[in-house]
Order: sequence, then structure tokens, then C-alpha cells
Amino acid sequence: MLIMADINIGKAPPNLAVLPFYATGALAFVIWSFLLLISAESLTGHYFHPHLLTIVHTAVLGWGTMIIFGAAYQLLPVICERDLYSSGMAIASWYCLTPGVVLLAGSFWNFTTGWMMISGGLLVVLSTILYGINVIATSRICSHYSIQRLFLLTSACWLLFTVVVGLLLAIHLSHPFISKNHLDLLKLHAHAGIVGWFLLLIIGVSTKLVPMFLLGKSSKNKLLLLSFLLLNLGLIAFLADGFFFGGHSLRFGLYALLILIGVLCWLIFLGAAYKNRVRKKTDYLMKHTFVAFLMLLLAFAALPLLLFQQDLRWVMLYGTILFMGWISSIIFGMTFKTLPFIVWNNHYKLLSGKVKVPLPKQLYQESLIPFQFYFSLLALSLIIIGIIIQFVILIRIALVIWCIVGWIFLYNVVKVLLHKTTIQS
Amino acid sequence: MNIHINDPFFDEKIRAQSGLYKVIDPELFVNVIDLGLIYELDFNEEGKIKVTMTLSTPHCPMGEAITNGVKNSLEQDFPERKVEVNLTFDPPWSFEMLSEEGRAQLGV
Repeated sequence: MLIMADINIGKAPPNLAVLPFYATGALAFVIWSFLLLISAESLTGHYFHPHLLTIVHTAVLGWGTMIIFGAAYQLLPVICERDLYSSGMAIASWYCLTPGVVLLAGSFWNFTTGWMMISGGLLVVLSTILYGINVIATSRICSHYSIQRLFLLTSACWLLFTVVVGLLLAIHLSHPFISKNHLDLLKLHAHAGIVGWFLLLIIGVSTKLVPMFLLGKSSKNKLLLLSFLLLNLGLIAFLADGFFFGGHSLRFGLYALLILIGVLCWLIFLGAAYKNRVRKKTDYLMKHTFVAFLMLLLAFAALPLLLFQQDLRWVMLYGTILFMGWISSIIFGMTFKTLPFIVWNNHYKLLSGKVKVPLPKQLYQESLIPFQFYFSLLALSLIIIGIIIQFVILIRIALVIWCIVGWIFLYNVVKVLLHKTTIQS
Repeated sequence: MNIHINDPFFDEKIRAQSGLYKVIDPELFVNVIDLGLIYELDFNEEGKIKVTMTLSTPHCPMGEAITNGVKNSLEQDFPERKVEVNLTFDPPWSFEMLSEEGRAQLGV
């Protein structure tokens, strides 16, 4: 038996490097849900709409990226089995990202191009650089190779690419210098973010966390490498073709197919872990994650409509499924699989075994999670139907339900964050 | 962890085990004994308890809380002894290490 007395088992970063991201992310979710509710009719129009640009940027940066940064700072030490390279840089990235999102999203609402939009974009780029340095420097001292590390590193590079392109587009809006069509570039910018940043990162983190939560094992590691190669190949081909040759629906379909096969490789890996799991009971948080996977596949199913029919509703449907269905569902599930444990650790890790302490799941109102799950499912179903049949009232009803989901989520996040140490008798 | 009736520290180990039943893995809600995380309790050295244990996942984020729980529980039950926790992943934890009770609690 090999004993490792000095093994690193819990070098968590300080609270300030993680918790503000969760708090801001939850608040951003409530804000963009409300903005979407008051702009519901924009979901039946063109996607290049000032209000939609505000909502999308609040959702992807203020909600998705914000929570992912916080979770990544917590999980990087777990994946790399080493301390986070710099907690100070993690905190600084929050100070850059938060005002960056406010300036950027604020400037889009009335489409005020100029210093506000550009400085917002600059702050987001700065925040991404700080995040990227932390990811690279933490994984540089990684004690062993892992496919998760490769996904995390590459996703950070794609995020930087995405936000730099975004910044250039923001500059171009007030000081035109790009000869290409702005809308075509927007398509490339969006997909670099969706596939390069969100998809690669979610794959990297989920292949570590899902087997850990299910107590399951998957031996299909080679599929993850194949997934990595296909996703990057598909994305690079899409971007290069789109930028240099203007793209073509058939070729775009081929690149999407490569990406879809990559996604299926990842899902087969997770399926094997699910099949071999010890924990048979699947809780609502894991169900949120499964809904997210389903939504991702649904987005792929909507792609042929998007590529071969000149109807903007499919663009809207595709975006809604991705942002509300896929990214939001995965965050709903994973937030309460990580945040209560982070806070619990801070309060109780020294008290455990001495006195009776609450369990992490008792730090939030667990009874609200089924409501969060079913309401989000209902809202997603209604909005999908509403967009397909172009029925604004149905979209608005869906968004009212979605806002309720947002408040439930925010309530539970705040409850966890404000938890006071309690000793049970 | 098996405790043999002929073990010279049988009483101590039973007492230690009773305390460790109260140390819960916060993620799985099952105690460390039924999870099979404790491999060995060594009382041979005077004034010391050496615990050899594992975690369900290497580098589990709750690892420090679990090992602290084991340490705290044993220090409470044996204030005259110093507790040393040694982690090992050899052999790694597996499903077979769960007790019947642990399997029932996990719904296996």
C-alpha cells in the first residue's frame, strides 16, 4: 500500500476568488430574464437588435462566463491537483469583467457606439487575459497530463479569441476599418464563443464532475481526445471558410457534422460513466444537466433549418435553445453541486467530526429545486413553441415563468452565500 | 476495515469505529466507515493513532473536511493520543468497499 501523507486534498482558493462570481452571475440572470421579458417581441424579429445584443451579452458574459470563471477557479486546483496560480488575479478578473459587462450591455441597449462600448469590451478582454494566465499557469504545474486540462486550456484560448474579435467589432462600429460584412463576422464571433469557449469548457469540466457526482467510471478516454480534435477541427474550418471564402450552407453543414460527432463522443463517454455509476438515484440537479445535453442535441437538430431556410425564426430558435436551454440548464444543475460545498467547506471543515453540522444541501432550500427544474422545463417548452409559431403572448408567458426560475435561483444562491455557521443539537 | 476479536486493541478500535460512524462524507451523505474509506487504524505506537484511509475520488474537493472529521472524531474519543491521518489511493476506493448499510444508503 502506497501512502501519500503529503497529498494535496483541499487547497481551495479564498472566498473572494470564487463567491463574487456566483453572486454576480445569479444577479445577471435575473436582470437578463427581466430584460428579455420586456423585449419579448424582439424574439420574433432580426437577431441584430440592440435589446437582444444587450440581453445576449448579459447572458453569455454576466451569467454564463461569470459563473464559469468562479467555478473554474474552484475546480482548477481539483483538476490540476495544485493551488490556483494567483487568487489576486482571479479577484482582479471579477473587477474587470463586472464593469465590462455593465458598460458593454448598457451601450448596446440604445446602440451607443463609441468609448462606452469599446471600454466595456476592453475590460472584458483584460478579464479574459487574467483568467487565461491563471489557467495556463495553474495547469503548467499540473502533476500529470489530463484531457480535462487540454479542454480547459483550449477553451480559455478560444474565449480570448472571441472577446478580441468582439472588441474589434465594437471598435469597427464607431471607427469602421473592416471590409467584411458585420453580420457575417458576428456569426463567426458567436460560434467561436459557443463552441470554442462554452462547449470545450463544459466538456472539460463535466467529464471530471459528472463521474465524480455519480460515482461512475468511464473507460472511454480515447473518445474524449477524438471529441477534442473534431470540435477544434470543425470550428477552425468553419471560421476559416466563413472569413476567407464567405462560407456556404453545405460546407457549414459539414463542419457542424464534425462538431456533432465530437459532441456525441463526449456524450458516449458520459453515458458510460452513467451506466457504471454507483449512485442510482438521479437528483434534480443532475436532471438539469441531462436536460442541458438534450437541448444541445436539439440545437443541432435545428441547424439544418437554419442553414437551408432563409427564415430568421430558426436563428432565434437556435440561439434560444443554446443560451436558455443548454448553457442555463447546465449552470442551474452545477451551481448547487459546487457552491454549497464551497461555502460549507469554509464554515465546517474544521468542525466536522467534532460537533453535529448541517449538510451542504441544507445550506439552500432544497424543496425549491423541483420547482426550479419543472418551471424551467415549462418555460423552455413554451418559448420554443412560441418562437416556432411566432406567437408573442406565448413567448411572454414563457418568460414570466423563466423570471420566476431566475428568482428561485437567486434566492437559493443568496441563501447559501449569507449562511451563518450553525451547530446542530 | 475488519476488526478481529483477538486484536490487542479490539476495544479501542470498536470505540474509534463508533465515533467514525458520525463522520459523514458531505457529498454522499454516508459515513466514512460504511463507505469503506478507512483502511486501517493503528494503535501500536504509544500516544498515537495512525489512520490509513482513502477518498472516493482522488483530490476530492471535500477531502480536507473528511480527513479533518476523522481526526477530530478520534481526538475527541482518545484525547491522550495524537492522531495521524495518512491518505492512500493504493488500492483506490471502489464500489466493492461499501458496506451493506452503505449500499442501502446510496440506493444501490
